[in-house]
Amino acid sequence: MDAAVDATNLTKSYGDTVALSGVSLTVERGEVFALIGPNGAGKTTLVRTLTGTAVPDEGAVRVLERAPTDLERARIGVLPQAFSPQPRLSARELLAYYAGLYDEARDPETVLADVGLTGAGDTRYENLSGGQQRRVCVGAALVNDPEVLVLDEPTTGIDPAGRRTVWRLLEGLADAGTTVLLTTHDMAEAARLGDRVGLLADGDLVALGTPEALIDAHAGPSSLTVSLATDETLEPIRADLESALEFAVEVDARESDLLVRDVSPADIARVVDALAERGLEYTSLEWAEPDLEDVYLALAGETEALATRAAGTADPTGPAERSSDETGDGGEER
Amino acid sequence: MTRLTRVRSQASADWRSFTRRRTAVFFTFFFPVILIVIFGALVRSDPGGGGLFSEPPAYYVPGYLAVVVLFTPLSRLGSEVARHREGNRFEKLATTPLTRGEWLLSQTLVNTVIIAVAGLLILALVVALTGAEIALSVWLLAYVLVGVVCFCGVGAIIGSYTDSQDGAVAASNAIGLPLLFLSETFVTLEQLPGWFAPLVDLSPLTYFARGVRAASYPGAETGVSGTLESVTGVDPAFGNLLVLGAFALVFFVIGARSIPATE
Repeated sequence: MDAAVDATNLTKSYGDTVALSGVSLTVERGEVFALIGPNGAGKTTLVRTLTGTAVPDEGAVRVLERAPTDLERARIGVLPQAFSPQPRLSARELLAYYAGLYDEARDPETVLADVGLTGAGDTRYENLSGGQQRRVCVGAALVNDPEVLVLDEPTTGIDPAGRRTVWRLLEGLADAGTTVLLTTHDMAEAARLGDRVGLLADGDLVALGTPEALIDAHAGPSSLTVSLATDETLEPIRADLESALEFAVEVDARESDLLVRDVSPADIARVVDALAERGLEYTSLEWAEPDLEDVYLALAGETEALATRAAGTADPTGPAERSSDETGDGGEER
Repeated sequence: MTRLTRVRSQASADWRSFTRRRTAVFFTFFFPVILIVIFGALVRSDPGGGGLFSEPPAYYVPGYLAVVVLFTPLSRLGSEVARHREGNRFEKLATTPLTRGEWLLSQTLVNTVIIAVAGLLILALVVALTGAEIALSVWLLAYVLVGVVCFCGVGAIIGSYTDSQDGAVAASNAIGLPLLFLSETFVTLEQLPGWFAPLVDLSPLTYFARGVRAASYPGAETGVSGTLESVTGVDPAFGNLLVLGAFALVFFVIGARSIPATE
C-alpha cells in the first residue's frame, strides 16, 4: 500500500528547545493514525511539519508522494491546534466560506449535519459553546473532502456526546478511504479511532504500533484493586496474600489499597476467598484491564519523571535528548 | 474563475465580519467626520492668513480623504493580520488553495468599498460644512482605489511584523499620523523646513495628496518646483497616480509576502 504520509528523520528546534529529534513516521493510505503524548512533546510541531506550515531543520516529508508545500491543497484538510475562525460568522457561513476556497467541496449543509450542528447553523461562532465551536472547526477541515485529514486535537472541549458524533464521522471517513492523522490527549479516542498509535515524548517517537500491541508491550498486567476496611499497616497483609495467592500483590502509591496483578476475572473468587479466610473485610473490589492510558503513563510518565529529575539536578543531558531506545521493547519502536 | 471564486468567498466573509463589528463601522465613518467638523467647521481655514489652514477649504480635501484612505487600511489590515495570526487562521489558510496575495486582495476590495463610501460622505460634508468648491472627476475614484491598495499593503506589513493587535494599532498610528500631516495634506511644503522636502517626496501619501488636489481643486497650484509635473510636464493628476501606483505595487507585493504562511 502507498504511504499517504512519509516523514524521515524530522528534526526541529526552537532556540535551545528540541521540538522534534529525528522523528520518522509512515501513515498508510486509508489508515487512522493517532498521535499521543504529553503537552510540549512536539505533536503540534510534527503536525505543522507534515502539513508544510513549519519547515524542519532536517529531514524530509512526503504527503501523497509530494512535498507538503507542493501538494494540491484540495487533497489535504487541516485543523490546526487552537484554531479560531472569524467569530462573527455563523457556523453555516463559516463552512460555506471554507467550501468557497476550493473548486469542489462538500455541501456545507451536509457537513453541518455531519458535525451535528444543523440546529445551530445560524448561530454566530462567538455565541456557540466551546464544543460546538470545535465541531465547526472539524467541519471546516473536511469540507473539501480531502484524501488526507490532519486534525490537531479535534475533540478538545467537546462533550462526550459530541465527541462520539465526531468519532463516528471520522470512522465513516476512514471507512470511505480517507487517511486520518490526529493528535489527542484522550486515550479512549486514540484507542477507538487509531489503527496505529504513536507516542511522542520530548520530540521522540518513543512507541508506535496498534493499540493492542502497545498495551501488550507496555501497559502491564490487569489488576484487581482491593480497598480494605482496616487501619492496619498493609505491608504484612500484602506479603501474606502474595504467598497464598501466587499473584503479585502491591500496595498502591497512596498506601490505602492493595493491587493484585495479572488476575483474570475467573481468579477474582480466589482472591475473595483468601480475604475471607483471613477475616479481612473490604469496601470495594475493582478489576481493570490495562489500556492505552497505562501505556501512556508507563512511557510518557517515565519521561516526565526523568524531566523533573533532570530539571532538579540541572542535568544538561536531560530527557529532551534522550534516545527512544531507553524505553525498552514493545510495539513497533523506532 | 477559480481565483475569482476564492477571492469572492474570502471577501464575502471579510465584509460580513467587518459590518458586524458595529463599533468598527461606526468609528470608521465617525473619525473623518470629527476631523472635518473640528478643522473645517470650527477652526476653519483662513485663506491668505498665516499659519495652518491658510489655504482655501478645497485645498484640504486630499487631507480629509487621506484620513480614511490612509488610516482605515493601516489599522484594519494591521489588526486583521494580527487577529488571523492569533487565531491560527493563516496556518489554516496556508493549507487551502487561497494564496496570500488573494487574501490581501480580498481585504483590499472590502476596504475599497468601505473607503469609497466614507470618501463620498467626506466630500459631501466638506462641501456642506466648509463651502469648498471641488470638481468631481473619475480621477478621485482612481486615487482612492490605488491609495487603498498601497496602504493595505503597508497595513499587512505592519500586522505581520508586530506581535499583537495592540501592537499593530499602535504601530499604525505611529506611522500614519506623521504621514497624514507631513505629506502635503494639511501642511504645505512651504511651511516645512527646506531639508524636510526630500522626506515628503518619500511618502506615497504625498502623491495621493498632489494628485487628488490636481483633480479636485481647480485653483490648485501645479508645477511647483521639484514636483513631478514641474520636471516631466505630465498632467499632475496622471503623473502622481503613476507614482502612487508604483508605490502600491511594491507595498502590495511586500505586504502579501509578509503575511505568515509558515512559522
